[in-house]
Amino acid sequence: MARHNLRTVIGFELGRNLSKPRFWIITLVIPIALMVVFALVLLSNTSTSATTDAQKNAHISFSYRDRSGVVDAALAAELGGTPTADPAAAIAAVKAGRSQAFFDYPADPSQHAVKVYGQDRDVFANGVYGSVAQSLLQLSAQQKLDSPKLVQLAGGGASSVTVTYRDGRETAGFNGLIAPILYLVAFYLLIILLGNQMLASTLEEKENRVTEMILTTINPTSLILGKIISLFALGLVQMVVFALPLVAAYALFRTQLNIPTLDLSHLALDPQQMIVGALILIGGFALFTGTLVAIGAIMPTAKDAGPIFGILLVLIFIPFYIMTLVVSDPTAPIVELFTWFPYSAPVTALLRNAFGTLPLWQGVALAVELLALAAIVLRIAVQLFRYGSIEYGRRVSLRGALTRRRGAATQPSAETAAR
Amino acid sequence: MTSDPIVEIDHFRMDFGSTTVIQDLSFEVRRGETFGFLGSNGSGKTTTLRALLGIYRPTSGRLLIDGTPFDPDSALRLGYLPEERGLYKKESVIDVMSYFGRLKGLDKREARRWSMEYLERVEIADKARTRVDKLSGGEQQKVQLGVTIMNQPELLILDEPTKGFDPVNRRLLMDIIDEQRASGATVLMVTHQMEEVERLCDRIILLKDGAARAYGTVTEVQEEFGGLTIILDYAGALPESADYGIVSQGGGRAILSVDNGADLAGILRALIDAGMTVTRFEPRRRSLDDIFVEVYGDEAGE
Repeated sequence: MARHNLRTVIGFELGRNLSKPRFWIITLVIPIALMVVFALVLLSNTSTSATTDAQKNAHISFSYRDRSGVVDAALAAELGGTPTADPAAAIAAVKAGRSQAFFDYPADPSQHAVKVYGQDRDVFANGVYGSVAQSLLQLSAQQKLDSPKLVQLAGGGASSVTVTYRDGRETAGFNGLIAPILYLVAFYLLIILLGNQMLASTLEEKENRVTEMILTTINPTSLILGKIISLFALGLVQMVVFALPLVAAYALFRTQLNIPTLDLSHLALDPQQMIVGALILIGGFALFTGTLVAIGAIMPTAKDAGPIFGILLVLIFIPFYIMTLVVSDPTAPIVELFTWFPYSAPVTALLRNAFGTLPLWQGVALAVELLALAAIVLRIAVQLFRYGSIEYGRRVSLRGALTRRRGAATQPSAETAAR
Repeated sequence: MTSDPIVEIDHFRMDFGSTTVIQDLSFEVRRGETFGFLGSNGSGKTTTLRALLGIYRPTSGRLLIDGTPFDPDSALRLGYLPEERGLYKKESVIDVMSYFGRLKGLDKREARRWSMEYLERVEIADKARTRVDKLSGGEQQKVQLGVTIMNQPELLILDEPTKGFDPVNRRLLMDIIDEQRASGATVLMVTHQMEEVERLCDRIILLKDGAARAYGTVTEVQEEFGGLTIILDYAGALPESADYGIVSQGGGRAILSVDNGADLAGILRALIDAGMTVTRFEPRRRSLDDIFVEVYGDEAGE
């Protein structure tokens, strides 16, 4: 019966959420916003690229003075340039409209800027003068190097491959960071997107005064577990919806959007990191869910519960203030504190796990800590719901609700005592 | 009805902090009977029901349903209409009813079928797909009632069932209670409507100051509180007498109270001998309403 009811609760909660326009509006806002941004970036990139190309290829006539000796006269002539020894006359010609532009190359262009004078076209079109001046200098410099290899190296075309070792074993480097950091992203998405729903999950019974009906129909543990599982499933639906535009953008517009190539063949999946990360994610999610459900059982309305949810949110963002220490000095006392304090532990530990600075024993111990605490908090949440949510319209005393199960040592509300 | 109890409450005590709501309460409800649980406001009736249903844990004592503490996962079919009523508001009527039906062990199709039949019976079938919060108060009461009885309950617990019901829904409720009784359900009801109690209940308990003030069949309780009342229509002067007390008089009618076993013929003869013209002399058992007023009258002004 309990298992049947668990399935019934999950089905009901999923059905009612997935059929609500509000759920889809919230879920689709982010992907639609992403798609709009992608579209704008795409349009902007196309326009920028076209403008740059046009500027590079633009043919203008200009005069120039070269004190550096780098500029190749033949190349300059090809681009429409005429050398001059009288910059003042050249500038005057530009001012008078007899010449389009004048470039004054300093003795050391690597130290001093090239001065460019031109007739005004418009803010964007004026960029053509600088582009031509720089192109001329760059091409001339490359011609002075007679080796294509040197040209490439001078252009910063050298690449390097780094191999690092820890405890005698080769480490995965950046490629090893990607997969475990996804746990952190998942944790944030789950808490931020579902936090309010977790909070409201038990408040609804209370606000609608369904508590007595429901408590005499279903075991509260089944009810709350069903709600949590359905929330988790809703979170997965939301994450898939969020991921769709990213995947589509990567597959269809990777070049236009300047998305770096993700070479999955180099993606390193360290089983230890992945397992520890999964356990910490599950433990952290369960702990935060249990806590939010417990808060929902205590508070009379969602509005009253809001500030406490705010505190929990702060706790999951605080570890980012010590991000540098988390990465560079994971044994610093503040990092250790954040690693072991239950409500900052998921973020700190998932970060450390991704950067490979969380020893296995600590990862396992943390997972145990989070899961054990989550079990305790969930049990308290069930207890609070069972014995506290009957206090319609008022905040429940934590001590009162927990002791009432043993026959009560605290004062009930006037409403309760009067019955 | 059998003597086999379905509800057993044994030396139940309930404290909230320094306040003792129930001192020492023991009673049982027999399988198949309709049992009235009576008491003034604040006498602990709802607390007792909540403790019986596991919503509160008792300070001491045993509260059993079908021989064990209540467990929603047990096989017992329970229908409970609480005093504080509510339903999921944002879902449609049929979805809410089906959900409760499934939680009560019906399969999805059966839950929907039963719900539609019930909605047709109470004439709101056209509202099946309407959100609950769009229904009128009376329509929500009908839905709530349907949820309460949708699993053919063996035990029906009704906490002030007619509270807030309009006369039409009250009639509907009474018909449904009658049907449930006829089909063998045990009914435990809290009510302040004494006429309902007299009409429906086999046995009752009166709760006062956290303990049972009276317990038994309606007749036994009436007899325990003594006596009879005589409705007297007359002309002339009503003399005082040690054989009866005058509860009220005026407009040619008086209500007299007499002890059990009083010589009614002797009283009538004495009245006639005193020169009165008696047109009505109707002895009656004291009504539960009178008894209720006598037991709780001192609390009315509190």
